Amino acid sequence: MVFSDKPKKGTIRRIMGEFKVHRVRFFDYMPSGIRAIAFNRQTERIAVGRVDGSVEIFTLLYNLFQEKVIPGKEQRSIEALCWVGERLFSVGLSGEIIEFDLHNLRPRYTIDAYGGPIWTITANPQGTHLAVGCEDGTVKLFEVLEDKIQFERNLDRKKGRILSLSWHPSGTKIVAGMMDMIRVFDVKTGHAIHRLLVDKAAGAPRDQECVVWSVVYLANDTVISGDSSGKVKVWDALTGTLIKNHDVTKWDVLALSLSQDETSLVAGTSEGTVVQFQFLSSVLGKEDKEWVRTRTFKNHTHDVRALAEVDTAIISGGLDTQLVVRPLLEKHDIKSQASALRKVQFPHRRLVSCAKKAQLLLFQYPSHLEVWRLGEGEEEGTPGEKVPVRRIPEKLLQLKAKGDEHICCSAVSPCGEWLVYSTTSSLRLYKLQYENNNISITKVSKLPKVLRWAHQLCFSADSSRLFAASGRSSVHMVSLGPEGCKHKHTFKPKNGSTQPIHLLTVSENGLWLATANSDCEVHIYSLSTLKSHCTVPVYRSGVTAMAIHPTKNNLFIAHADQQVFEFSIELEQYTDWSRKVQREGLHFKWLERDTPIMNVTFNPRNPDHIILHDMYMFCVLDQSLPLPDKKSQFFNQLTLKSLPEQERKTHCHAFKVCKLFQPLMCVDVLEDHSLVVVERSLLDIVAKLPAPVKQKKFAT
Amino acid sequence: MAETSETQRGSGNPSSEVMIENNTLRFDSSDDEAPEEVNFEDSKRSALQSVKDALEAGRREKKTLKEKRRRKQEFFLEQKKRRLLPEDVLEEIDATPIRHDAIPCSAENEVEKGKAMDLSDLKPIKEQARSLQANCSVTTVKHQITASTHQKEAMDFVQSRFYGQGTRRATNNELLSLNNKKGVNKGAAFQFANTKLSTVEREKAEKSNKRWLHKKKLIST
Repeated sequence: MVFSDKPKKGTIRRIMGEFKVHRVRFFDYMPSGIRAIAFNRQTERIAVGRVDGSVEIFTLLYNLFQEKVIPGKEQRSIEALCWVGERLFSVGLSGEIIEFDLHNLRPRYTIDAYGGPIWTITANPQGTHLAVGCEDGTVKLFEVLEDKIQFERNLDRKKGRILSLSWHPSGTKIVAGMMDMIRVFDVKTGHAIHRLLVDKAAGAPRDQECVVWSVVYLANDTVISGDSSGKVKVWDALTGTLIKNHDVTKWDVLALSLSQDETSLVAGTSEGTVVQFQFLSSVLGKEDKEWVRTRTFKNHTHDVRALAEVDTAIISGGLDTQLVVRPLLEKHDIKSQASALRKVQFPHRRLVSCAKKAQLLLFQYPSHLEVWRLGEGEEEGTPGEKVPVRRIPEKLLQLKAKGDEHICCSAVSPCGEWLVYSTTSSLRLYKLQYENNNISITKVSKLPKVLRWAHQLCFSADSSRLFAASGRSSVHMVSLGPEGCKHKHTFKPKNGSTQPIHLLTVSENGLWLATANSDCEVHIYSLSTLKSHCTVPVYRSGVTAMAIHPTKNNLFIAHADQQVFEFSIELEQYTDWSRKVQREGLHFKWLERDTPIMNVTFNPRNPDHIILHDMYMFCVLDQSLPLPDKKSQFFNQLTLKSLPEQERKTHCHAFKVCKLFQPLMCVDVLEDHSLVVVERSLLDIVAKLPAPVKQKKFAT
Repeated sequence: MAETSETQRGSGNPSSEVMIENNTLRFDSSDDEAPEEVNFEDSKRSALQSVKDALEAGRREKKTLKEKRRRKQEFFLEQKKRRLLPEDVLEEIDATPIRHDAIPCSAENEVEKGKAMDLSDLKPIKEQARSLQANCSVTTVKHQITASTHQKEAMDFVQSRFYGQGTRRATNNELLSLNNKKGVNKGAAFQFANTKLSTVEREKAEKSNKRWLHKKKLIST
């Protein structure tokens, strides 16, 4: 008997409440596995490097939020990431060290280390030097200068690839994990002081070497290593002997991370478990401490390749593409949002654009774009019923990006005639023409010189103008017409910010433009006077979604810590409704949600409605209804249905949440008042991941 | 003497008798008579001769080895000459300035091999060696070629350690099935739908599903 668990491709139109819903499940979004995580203590940010070469910067403050994304490239591989101050370096199997420009979201420069593929990079605690471990067995030292890095020297070359490195906190010694052995080098002379031999796995064939995937060097001259035989070994680096051998798993121990006070170590394995070791004494009060295995976390289904132990949490990522933040409960006093497990499964950016008038959807994949036309269903139906589809959705166009860089952002105009996408080095604009059932695409060749690349793209509601967010929080406005594309104006923020913009929105009447950047700043520009209009007071948390109301011209902003604000553009202050929300506070169920609001849109039929969605729900926020009481039930749509009409009115509150469609990638409203809901099943993503380890469970 | 030994022994094996005779004769001679007188000159001569012979033999051996080595060396030189391009082409290449790129050795070997292949085309056109005709083209060896082979080897190493021989890996189907069986709401094993089925086959599968359900009285028709 065959259960068809994969949903059939197609839109199933349901009539729900007052909306016809297009339920779209043909966006085959596939995230990329996580390969490296680096924590920056000073700025409380983590850099996550993925297998496809992209780097994401997450902030840990005021809820985990993906602030910046540097798109990947075809041949770029990331094996390790390293912070030096506020600079980010990465190395990969192409043999190059890349420094990233975090303001313009691109590599600043690349240096070839001439040692073959590079497996690891680490900075010394003083922040003056970088050490990279290469395939040819050399550890190369680079000096970190003001605006570049310079090769200083090689340490003694040894036979065998260097897979992991760790500096001693004093900066005088480095330990390198290689094949079948660990070597301790003296940095000043470059000579190897000790050679620690690692045993092969018990059942492994004789010629299969034991790979030391990760090493850490502690201040008390202890070295801890994790290798492919599944053991975590504690060595004494002064004498070069093994102190203790912990058998953690049957598969490999792939990653290690040491806490800052060196009392806790976490090890990530191929099974998807994260094992914690702590430096404790077996008898309370005694001084003889040793590394003892304490906790095991199983938050991943596939190999854990990257780990970081930040002060109060363990952040892990692996080939199952999820970033998991597991707070350590002993470091949190109260049970709150901060002490809950958080998983980041979908990116915190929109990958779906909707052409509202033309009923088209644009899907952004890393190397190509797809344009689909939505299907049509029968007109009549009762609420909650599935409506048969009269015309199935069809893929109109698949556009492959030129070059080997991944697409950074893309947009389609509401009328469906213009298509634009940008990579880190080029921006391309296309004109789409529809004749009968055919679609033809022509590239607009002469683009204004300012449009070289963009962080974010947005069309005006009448499709006559394109807005491209460029460097230093500036926005270029170009006009689109039959004669081509002309640069009209560049908007620059008054405070001269250097951070990149990640959200752009234009009002329906074409008078206002709002931008949000990584510094949590929201700037509003007037399109009639072409000047900066005002700035929304800076809130501590990043903006995850915002939109301008079509008639009232209020800017609705949703933040990463689930707070929502409404700012009146004309009056340049928060609206009364927003002040009411701040006074009364939001319901704790709303604040407990662990995925950010990804899109804000409005209901053309009812000006009081605001439609928001996150990964697991979408909500119709009715500003005419009272706010929910703290003690009342928040998710009350089902109970309201069962109540009679009179009672319903007393129990109704503003937040009408629907959890029918999940996991959501995008919810938008079309011009014919129907709702488009783009879902992506997590099971479909799991089905396409690489192979997990074979677990033998009793009675299966 | 011979008479006495024959008569003493009488008739018997004639050949052995003769041999024994000879031996006895010699022994007898060496026992009874004084040793032969060997001239000092003769012995000196024979000793010197034997020494000379030994030296000669040594010299001959050395000569033959030297010959062998010389022949081998000539052969190698000829081979090398065959592999290199004709002199005028080499001169022309030397004339262009050398770029200081860090091209590792393997790249140079590849270039040499490529040049050796082309040599057969060049030989008959020695006068026109400058213009490379027919099936030849000279391209620079890009640095990326070797970098990408190193990169590919490194990626193969990681792949083999993760998914190669001896690693015990399962499929995602098994993972999801185990979750179903061990989870709170126990369910049957996962089976991914085969999207490559044609519409006819899909309809058949649906019909058989419905029949099975009806048979098990799970749904009412």
